[in-house]
Amino acid sequence: MTLTNFIQLLVTGMAMGAIYALTAKGLFIAHLTTNRVNFGQGDFLMAASFISLAAIGAGLPLPLAVLAVVTVLSLMGWGLERFAVRPLDRFGAGRAGGALAWILTTAGMALILQNTVELLWGKSSQYSPPLFSDRRDNVITVGQIGFFLEELLIILAAFAAVGAFWWALFRTRWGRDVYTVAFNPDAASLLGIDVRRTVTSVWIIAALLAAVSGILVGPLVTVHPHMGLIFTIKALAVASLGGFANPIGILVGGILFGVAEALANYWDSKYGDLYPLLFVMAMLVLKPSGIFGESKADIR
Amino acid sequence: MIAVEAISARIGAVEVLSDISFSVAPGALLAVLGANGAGKTSLLRSVSNLLPLSGGRVTYDRQDISGIAPHLLARKGLVHVPQGRQIVPTLSVLDNLLLGASHLSQNDPDMMRKNLEDEFTRFPVLRERQRIPGGSLSGGEQQMLAVSRALMMRPKVLMLDEPSLGLAPQVARAILRALRSLTEQGVAVILVEQIAIGALKIADNGLVLRNGQVALRGSATELLADRGLVESYLG
Repeated sequence: MTLTNFIQLLVTGMAMGAIYALTAKGLFIAHLTTNRVNFGQGDFLMAASFISLAAIGAGLPLPLAVLAVVTVLSLMGWGLERFAVRPLDRFGAGRAGGALAWILTTAGMALILQNTVELLWGKSSQYSPPLFSDRRDNVITVGQIGFFLEELLIILAAFAAVGAFWWALFRTRWGRDVYTVAFNPDAASLLGIDVRRTVTSVWIIAALLAAVSGILVGPLVTVHPHMGLIFTIKALAVASLGGFANPIGILVGGILFGVAEALANYWDSKYGDLYPLLFVMAMLVLKPSGIFGESKADIR
Repeated sequence: MIAVEAISARIGAVEVLSDISFSVAPGALLAVLGANGAGKTSLLRSVSNLLPLSGGRVTYDRQDISGIAPHLLARKGLVHVPQGRQIVPTLSVLDNLLLGASHLSQNDPDMMRKNLEDEFTRFPVLRERQRIPGGSLSGGEQQMLAVSRALMMRPKVLMLDEPSLGLAPQVARAILRALRSLTEQGVAVILVEQIAIGALKIADNGLVLRNGQVALRGSATELLADRGLVESYLG
């Protein structure tokens, strides 16, 4: 491998890694607040990809297409919490959860999504148009090395989304409320925090993270109705690297995962996707709290 | 300010409160005493609607508050500091202080700054440590933070569940003194305590619970005069 190859793989890996980090953050925030995750997070991403593809295909300019995806995905996040998660609370001992039924209902929603998308757009893979430039393979050359412009812009956009999420979590009243509800919902309500509304907002934000990932991942992969599961699995792997507790650990974990995957695929194009997952598995055996996990959810 | 009229409550099949009545006027301090399991915590939880009533009613500011969600009561100034202080360990001292205040319906930044300044004057240690995570404060400092955080919500009624639990005696006394000074500003205080004598010394009236019922009630002076009887109920 030449240095040029390596740097190009690094950029490709970072683009995918940023997507994994965004998806994993959706799992993290729901888990932090409610001890539950959406097992269809990857399928939310898939749906976002299709809606974005359809909206851009219908000739909508990018901002309007983004608005459409964001609107639909917010409603999906709200609906998931309202109809597939919250009604189960009365079967279990509150948050601690004797009931694990939400695993089935969120995974079930994923199946419904896959089939709905198949009905609407068919089973075949779709080519997603570029978001930021006129062609997917526009190359800009820095020194001796050529990069896909689209990839660089996707990395920038993903980092902007990560930054916005960080700001919301650590610099706003909403983030303060989220940490308080995560700590103790009863105590939160005694401080005037509307716990139910905070939980709903968290599921909407989780869906919005899938929305952003879905829009951005389109031009990097081929889009098809069953692409979601592998994103859910990879996001779970990335979130465990951060111990489900450390948002910066999840970002670093996501990037490392994406880069490892890109390099592994260079050496072994057949089973390349497997190696990073094996690595995470081995790591979890050695350190179950995650490389960047902490006993407390405090990283500030 | 607040009137509790013949309330009962159950947890599962067990009646944890039965036919309890009392009222607290603005500027008065009521001490609620009793042994472990007497129903003191359940009483506060039912008043703030965390535990639904099975009978009776609570009026606050002359308004029946049954069925009003706890977070709305808190925003209206019926403020409950639960057992164990409940300082969010990951948030800074300052963020903890702003938690409740930021949800008040009249969320006036100037007022908030002034209140913050008042609390920093009341407990100067909070000013010094405002940037560090709440979880790294000592027990006494956390209790000061819990009281200040509640006062940031400008309570008309302040209910505290065993604020002196686990504190060194002189720290506990400082907290109790701070509570007494609040009543001078017209706040009605309901203080649940295990340290009966210390609580009665700052209280106007006292209420002793046993098995979810009122076993003894009277003015603090009366109850202090009959310490032996009070203590016989505390187990």
